[in-house]
Amino acid sequence: METLIQSLVSGVLTGSLYAMIGVGLTVVFGVMRIINMAHGDLVMLGMYGAFWAHVGARVDPFLSIVVWMPLMFLFGMAIHRFLLRKVVLGGELNTLLYTAGLSLFIANLALFVWTGDYRTIKLSYAVMPLRPFDIAVPIPLAISFGLAIVITVALYWLLARTDMGRAIRATSQDAEAAALMGVNVERTATITFGLGTALAGGAGVLLAPSLYLYPTVGEILVAKCFVIVVLGGLGSVPGAIAGGILLGIIESLGAVYVSVAYKDLIGFVIFLLVLLLRPAGLFGVGKS
Amino acid sequence: MTRGLVALAIVALFAVPWLVTNTFFMHLAIMVLMWTALGAAWNLLGGFAGQVSFGHAAFLGVGAYATMIFHLKLGLAPWYGLVLGGVIGALVSLPIGFICFRLRGPYFSLATLAVAEIIRIIAINWETLTDGPVGMLITTLPELRVLGQPVDWESKTPFYVMIATIVVAVIGATWAITRLRFGAYLLAIREDPDSAEAVGIDTVRTNVTALALSAFFTALTGGFYAIYFRYIDPDAVFSIALSVEMVFIAVVGGLATAAGPLIGAVFLVTLAEVFRERFQVWHLIFYGLFMMLTIRYLPEGIWGRIGLLLGRRG
Repeated sequence: METLIQSLVSGVLTGSLYAMIGVGLTVVFGVMRIINMAHGDLVMLGMYGAFWAHVGARVDPFLSIVVWMPLMFLFGMAIHRFLLRKVVLGGELNTLLYTAGLSLFIANLALFVWTGDYRTIKLSYAVMPLRPFDIAVPIPLAISFGLAIVITVALYWLLARTDMGRAIRATSQDAEAAALMGVNVERTATITFGLGTALAGGAGVLLAPSLYLYPTVGEILVAKCFVIVVLGGLGSVPGAIAGGILLGIIESLGAVYVSVAYKDLIGFVIFLLVLLLRPAGLFGVGKS
Repeated sequence: MTRGLVALAIVALFAVPWLVTNTFFMHLAIMVLMWTALGAAWNLLGGFAGQVSFGHAAFLGVGAYATMIFHLKLGLAPWYGLVLGGVIGALVSLPIGFICFRLRGPYFSLATLAVAEIIRIIAINWETLTDGPVGMLITTLPELRVLGQPVDWESKTPFYVMIATIVVAVIGATWAITRLRFGAYLLAIREDPDSAEAVGIDTVRTNVTALALSAFFTALTGGFYAIYFRYIDPDAVFSIALSVEMVFIAVVGGLATAAGPLIGAVFLVTLAEVFRERFQVWHLIFYGLFMMLTIRYLPEGIWGRIGLLLGRRG
């Protein structure tokens, strides 16, 4: 019983970060129909951001998020404005191939600049886990979990309550109708891509203290990301949150009750089953 | 006229090892041809049927492992294993095709990516069959006599002849497809799957056939990979990066053209091998960059653009 609760808890903690990455990918898909193959590499950039803030400037990695999220937002807007905007017109497959190229470019540039060494962030306050009710909760994961919830709630508020959020949701539902109602679709798309990139980068910052860092980590993350958004239904924000937490739990239960070796396999098998049987996602809210 | 040129090109292709003695250039030529074969095999499905697979490393890996396993565990000479591996690759592709072709466009691409990852994880963990992450190694290739002459496995020539034969076969198959009704079916599916279905083309069956053909040649080349490098491990032959590189060769060269993958491979692989000498990772940075430039400015690829220019003038 204790093992079950323990693995559920760690599943939810990791899942909250998966959710944040997934939300970034899914809002971008909703507005632009882009499946961004480089999303995992944007997470990787956030991870290195936190690492260098910690090593170079002696800033707490979690604190550095206030710098990196706005920077990643601008970076994402620049990518869309200068690189992706024209390519999107060529159709979904072109953007898929283009972002695959972008992914290879970013990952290997990082490999060149930062080398392939595995790095870790050592925090003085993270040596011993918290032990509420005899359940081990690693401190960095607990902090990440809290921050991920704050950021996700802020995003919800932005999407639900602000004019920008309404424009994003309207474009996501029907770009032409939104344009007819006076929404500047191009600008909305640029801002949405910025938002998706900021979420990816932010999640990277939060993940950095709990994972090994290496330049090609994005390859694994992006694969997980696809699983998450397809579970929840492509284009759906609540779906991505549920999908992220679900994948976190599946992986952690799988590692305990099936085998560590095959835990990643379970995610992919469920991914295929959902794609085939429920292409709109487990909750039937996605767009196909 | 064209027939004469093609015959001349094939003669020139097989004459290379008797003209070039430098081992680096021979290695370069072998790499170019290997990637040509992979790009052309991918192109059968990705170019003609427009089904972008991000999981072709699965077939390369299956071919490579089949060759290794038949040789190391059953004692079968690797050149028979190579052909058997191709057949196994095609067989493996059938269930994958029937599952993944129920999806379209980017969803198909994501599904193939997932399938390749599943196969990679199985290859890592099924240690009794694959020896797991340690990989498999052929220390010495068995003796072989061709026309009474023993083959010298230390030279590059036999490998060159092997891969050149595969390239001629796969490009020949591509060329044949452009002429057959089957090729027209594939193009119809690429342009509009619903209309293709409406005029009576069985889209799933046509796509599955194209995938099986593509998987056969990819697995065949995978077998060659195993014999040439004599060492494979799951992360080397099943990696996502490998799948993506195959896509790039075909796209940069020109989708749905017979000669495109050769042009793409000559261009990208030469660049890669030259840069690899001095900088480890630069070639992949350039791969990414060229992919982006190609999609943005040259979506029909290098060979496709040449074809267009010639067509306009003539």
